[in-house]
Amino acid sequence: MKKVITGDHAVALGAKLCRVDVVPAYPITPQTLIIEHIADFVNDGEMDAKFLTMESEHSVMSAAAAASAAGARVFTATSSQGLAFMYEMLYATAPMRLPIVMANANRTLAAPPGIWCEYNDSMGVRDSGWLQVYVEDNQEALDMVIQSFRIAEDKRVLLPVMPCLDGFVLTHTVEPVDVPQQEDVDSFLSPYAPDIMLDPARPTMIGIFMPAEYIMELRRQTMGAVESAKKVIGEINDEFAKVFGRNYGGMIDTYMMEDAEVALVTMGTVTSTSREVVDELRKVGKKVGLVKLRFFRPFPVDELRKALSGVSAVGVFDRSISYHGGGPAFNEIQSALYGMTMPVVNHLAGIGGRDVTREQIIKMFEITIKAGKGEKVNTINWHNTRGETV
Amino acid sequence: MFEVRFHGRGGQGAVMAAQALAEAAVIEGNYAVAFPFFGAERRGAPVLAFTRIDAKKIYSKTQVYSPDCVVVLDDSLLDTIDVVAGLKPGGSVVINSRDKPEDIDLGISVKTAAVDATSVALEILKAPITNTAILGAFAKATGIIKLESLEEAIKRRFGEKLGEKVAERNSLAARTAYGKTVIGKSKGIKKLEPKKQWLPTYQELPAGGSLVEGKTDAGLIGPGSFIENKVMGWATFRPVRDREKCTMCLLCWFYCPEGTIVRISDRGDLMTNYDYCKGCGVCANECPVDAIKMVRARV
Repeated sequence: MKKVITGDHAVALGAKLCRVDVVPAYPITPQTLIIEHIADFVNDGEMDAKFLTMESEHSVMSAAAAASAAGARVFTATSSQGLAFMYEMLYATAPMRLPIVMANANRTLAAPPGIWCEYNDSMGVRDSGWLQVYVEDNQEALDMVIQSFRIAEDKRVLLPVMPCLDGFVLTHTVEPVDVPQQEDVDSFLSPYAPDIMLDPARPTMIGIFMPAEYIMELRRQTMGAVESAKKVIGEINDEFAKVFGRNYGGMIDTYMMEDAEVALVTMGTVTSTSREVVDELRKVGKKVGLVKLRFFRPFPVDELRKALSGVSAVGVFDRSISYHGGGPAFNEIQSALYGMTMPVVNHLAGIGGRDVTREQIIKMFEITIKAGKGEKVNTINWHNTRGETV
Repeated sequence: MFEVRFHGRGGQGAVMAAQALAEAAVIEGNYAVAFPFFGAERRGAPVLAFTRIDAKKIYSKTQVYSPDCVVVLDDSLLDTIDVVAGLKPGGSVVINSRDKPEDIDLGISVKTAAVDATSVALEILKAPITNTAILGAFAKATGIIKLESLEEAIKRRFGEKLGEKVAERNSLAARTAYGKTVIGKSKGIKKLEPKKQWLPTYQELPAGGSLVEGKTDAGLIGPGSFIENKVMGWATFRPVRDREKCTMCLLCWFYCPEGTIVRISDRGDLMTNYDYCKGCGVCANECPVDAIKMVRARV
């Protein structure tokens, strides 16, 4: 059934279709619509979940951890300062292997206070052990909530997953979304059945104090779970494609990469606009392609090396800055491509919610093409930034 | 370089002893470092502290595995910990014990200095904090540091934190213990079984380290496994209840932080499970009719 809905509404419908048991919630723009929709579903009897209004995001994630440890399927959503306030509990939930799913509406993290899209909120927690996937439209937002629960609850993974959607660009934009049938989702996603949970009938210790004799093994184990997620993400992507007819490519997606001479790596909604830019540039004979960085954790090292193996230059879009020069995606991709010889340049744009226009994306390609020809270009390019020349 | 390893229990001041020794070495113109290693910090739990002394700057930031001297602040630790592990040939042991060195079995026969530091501490400090007394024994046994330097270090460190009077008393404790220290050789008979510990590989560790009740070669794990961790050795004092005075108000039962006071409902009585009593004295402190007295449990 096609519905014309916002990204937030799509995410809320995804959570409802997943029959989540517990939703601890705290509002923050631009995520608030998600939990408001869920509150409505619960109030109207459409959704059989415990909806908990908490006093802070830290408490939201604490309640989420406790509910998940007790065997509940838990969903919540946050954004920006809310995510930052959860920081401590994010680092608790992943090594405890609690398969919580939380949508993050990407929003600039103050200072300066702002409400628009930037990735400096979720990038700040990329080492927490949470898996992160960045989506480009409302359909993918809904579908990835469903896939996230499958990934999170897979016994080979057992990690929390954070589907990230661009604040306002998706959260408050309506577009047609094919809402899956409940019975299809039910057969795709079984009820959550953990091996170990807090159960008075079977005493259990979860999240226990550990001396140094154990913590390295626990970290290594968590790392192993993140590594295992790569395979699981691919399997679940393929299964989802079979059932629902939508294939997102798994760890990454590619567009016009078969014969591409130059590639741009993008995340989130800029990918969507870039697809049209690629078409446009292809029309004028420029062999350009697009790689959509979907999962940031686990990081698609092998997939990127394979997809980018034939290009003469790589441009990497970043929507946040890591204050030592380039953006986080750029730095991780440089590391992933270590030993490969093509130039890799960084394109910083859209920070603080500044609109990323087609012209800017064309410029990103132009600079990357130049780099591919061996011409001298800046490694870090601040697009549409007063005082900078690109 | 001279390396010292202190074995103590939380609350005895092993860390402060290690620090004061380092300070004394610095007073004598040397370079020294001191650092602790804790488990979960609890009064009575075994703790380690280390001191390194050298004429030049010390760069090593690892623990001490081959000490020149081992200082044991509590001889009940000998039952569970191989305190002489890694002791350098020709090394020595300084131990808080009522026994003579010849009667102390360390598993090897080594130069051993013994002093009843607990009695010295109780007499002078009115508390079983044996760190300063044992340092006096250390000075006498090793000759590495002068008693005067130690007293000066104790005065500086304690004086700053706890005032001049406390500093004076601690200095006196060191001096008194120095005088009472007996130097000899330990017995080397007993073989201490190395303590078994469950050390799973990362693959064996249950996801997230979550545990249900379980049994391993090294003992129980998970909920309830602490039943194996008897802590009576931690207690310097233990509570003794006067049944005549006791009104069965149950305040002690309520306040005991370890749940070691058990109600025997059919007799309307209470029983203390000394296996798990750490001798903290909370029960005696809370008793409104002074029916509970703390008595010396051991040395």
